[in-house]
Amino acid sequence: MFTEKHFRYVIILAVAGLIIGTWGMGARLLYGHKYMDYGSFVPWGLWVAFDLFFLGLTAGAYIVSVLTYGFRIRLFAALGPLSVFALLVTLLCEGIIISLDLGHPLRIYRFLLSPNFGSMLFWLVAFIVAMWIIYLTTFFLLLREQLVAWSRDEKRPGHKIYRLLAGGRSDYTEADRARDHRRVRIMSYISMPIGLLFFGMHGAVFAILLNRPLWNGAMTPFLFIMAALLSGGALITFLTYLFHPRDDLVQPLGRIVLGLLATFLFLEALQFFVGYQSKVPNFVASLDLIAFGPFWWNFWVLHLLIGSAIPIYILITRANDTKAVSWACFLILVTFFAVRLNYLIPDLAVYKLEGLQNTFFSHRLRTDYVPNFNEWLVSIWVISLGLLTFFLGMRWLPVEAAGMEEEEHV
Amino acid sequence: MSRELPAEDPLVRMQRDLKRALKKKPKEIQWGMVIDIAKCIGCHACTIGCVAENKLPPGVVYRVVLEEETGHYPQVRRRFVPRPCLHCQNPPCVKACPVTATWKTEQGVVIVDYNRCIGCRYCLVACPYSARTSDFAEWYTEGTPDLAGKLVGRKAAANGYEAHPAAEYGKKWPDRDHDSPVGNARKCHFCLHRLKVGMLPACTTTCIGRATIFGDRSDPQSLVSEMIGSPRVFRLKEELGTLPAVYYLK
Ligand code: SF4
Ligand code: SF4
Repeated sequence: MFTEKHFRYVIILAVAGLIIGTWGMGARLLYGHKYMDYGSFVPWGLWVAFDLFFLGLTAGAYIVSVLTYGFRIRLFAALGPLSVFALLVTLLCEGIIISLDLGHPLRIYRFLLSPNFGSMLFWLVAFIVAMWIIYLTTFFLLLREQLVAWSRDEKRPGHKIYRLLAGGRSDYTEADRARDHRRVRIMSYISMPIGLLFFGMHGAVFAILLNRPLWNGAMTPFLFIMAALLSGGALITFLTYLFHPRDDLVQPLGRIVLGLLATFLFLEALQFFVGYQSKVPNFVASLDLIAFGPFWWNFWVLHLLIGSAIPIYILITRANDTKAVSWACFLILVTFFAVRLNYLIPDLAVYKLEGLQNTFFSHRLRTDYVPNFNEWLVSIWVISLGLLTFFLGMRWLPVEAAGMEEEEHV
Repeated sequence: MSRELPAEDPLVRMQRDLKRALKKKPKEIQWGMVIDIAKCIGCHACTIGCVAENKLPPGVVYRVVLEEETGHYPQVRRRFVPRPCLHCQNPPCVKACPVTATWKTEQGVVIVDYNRCIGCRYCLVACPYSARTSDFAEWYTEGTPDLAGKLVGRKAAANGYEAHPAAEYGKKWPDRDHDSPVGNARKCHFCLHRLKVGMLPACTTTCIGRATIFGDRSDPQSLVSEMIGSPRVFRLKEELGTLPAVYYLK
């Protein structure tokens, strides 16, 4: 349960993260990519791994909102506004970190001026924008009633801002409520295919690359969808425990997460099996890097032990213990970053032409990438900003209040 | 020139081929390259020639010479495989770019528009030949102490080389700070700026083994076409279907 004391700790932590991370942000904004350690053979590093991580986390909110508003399942209705807000904050973090990863982030308008409709990356960005539009609108519609109520409360600090956020309205009728919920449902219907395409497209960015055996294949988009549902589901379960610690919500979510984790591990095992059986040298080299490379502990300890075996044990043996279920999901959530790194780096970290390592000396033309201090500092800054936005948002926006009466409306 | 006479330097013939090509309508030209591995001695002169021509900063390299070892001691062999951008006819890098900052010209050369590229590096990931590098704004002269007013020191050294604008794509690129090509994907462009004024690519003229042959693939009389017809010809990673316009001779 999230108390005032916890709130203070999180805010102090986030502010400290922002202050510490400023050093890395300064290096990035003043000197571009010069003081970062990725190069031309491992062109995507820590920030892209965080990008995958954040995009995946949005899936939890996607499931909840689709189940609640699309299929009108009441069970998770109380989580609607909370999960949509979590989705928006993770999208915000994703947007910031991937912009920092671009060589020329100010040219982002190029997506409009000279789009390449044949590029998977173009479509991924298009679907990210679509998700922003859908969920920002949904969030507004879900909160509007409470925003109007808060704006009418003269004693509430900043009530004029709430009026502004509510679109200047001072009354909210039963008809408004019905209309807004109808719109939320429509948004949810639209989000069903868009969301699936969004998570699938995320995988397709990697899946189409013929020269990358670990990524290339029809299974990759599916693996990405499962990875997103798993990490997103774990996030939502943990947040539910923090803000709505009801057994009837957390425990079924825990069971869903357990099923997703089992499916994900099965797919991962298949990938290893196919890779090792194919005996394609680059494929085997990438798998060897994951399992027996210098960062083997990432896979065995973080992902398989802390992020899978322990949570599975807890989710099976303590399925009726809300607190245990939530902490199991927390373990899955935080260690999932290791899964993303393990997916991204090992394929890049294998030279794709024999002899490339001996051609030209430069630390940018090496495959032994380890994120440097600046990259971590920038990541800490972005995560801290996300934490601050989320917890201040939970306090300053009527997210919880909007969730309270949701069950009736659904 | 009679065929019986001692063969002329291939550079002379390529120069003649180039002149002939430049008289054609641009869209009738198809630039191509053949690299004769048997002639490459692994001197890396082409790499250096290219770096100097295009004023490439540290970590950016368009043409490398791969060294491949085969066999087991004492039956060991080594061969050298220069690898520029292969100017694929079915280029994965072009398909990957989300903002059409890279494309294939009608003459078959894959180029990058530095002012359009957002620096996402997806093309670097997509190229099966690792032929693209990213510009991280580094300087070779970095760390060199500066002595004002003297001929030595960082500024003097940089003025002699790095501070000179590169002539890539026929433009004068500004100083290397934040502006393009810093932050962009960069790659070999067959020295288009040299071709325009009737000069062969820098790697071709610097190749002391005359292992690099360049010219118009669509001209049946050109040396490059003749070489492409050789039974020794092969292309790198042909199974990927990228159809490179750079061929190799075994
Ligand atoms: S070699 Fe690489 S960079 Fe050059 S055209 Fe082919 S895919 Fe593109
Ligand atoms: S780095 Fe530039 S050229 Fe390459 S895909 Fe991205 S925008 Fe296109």
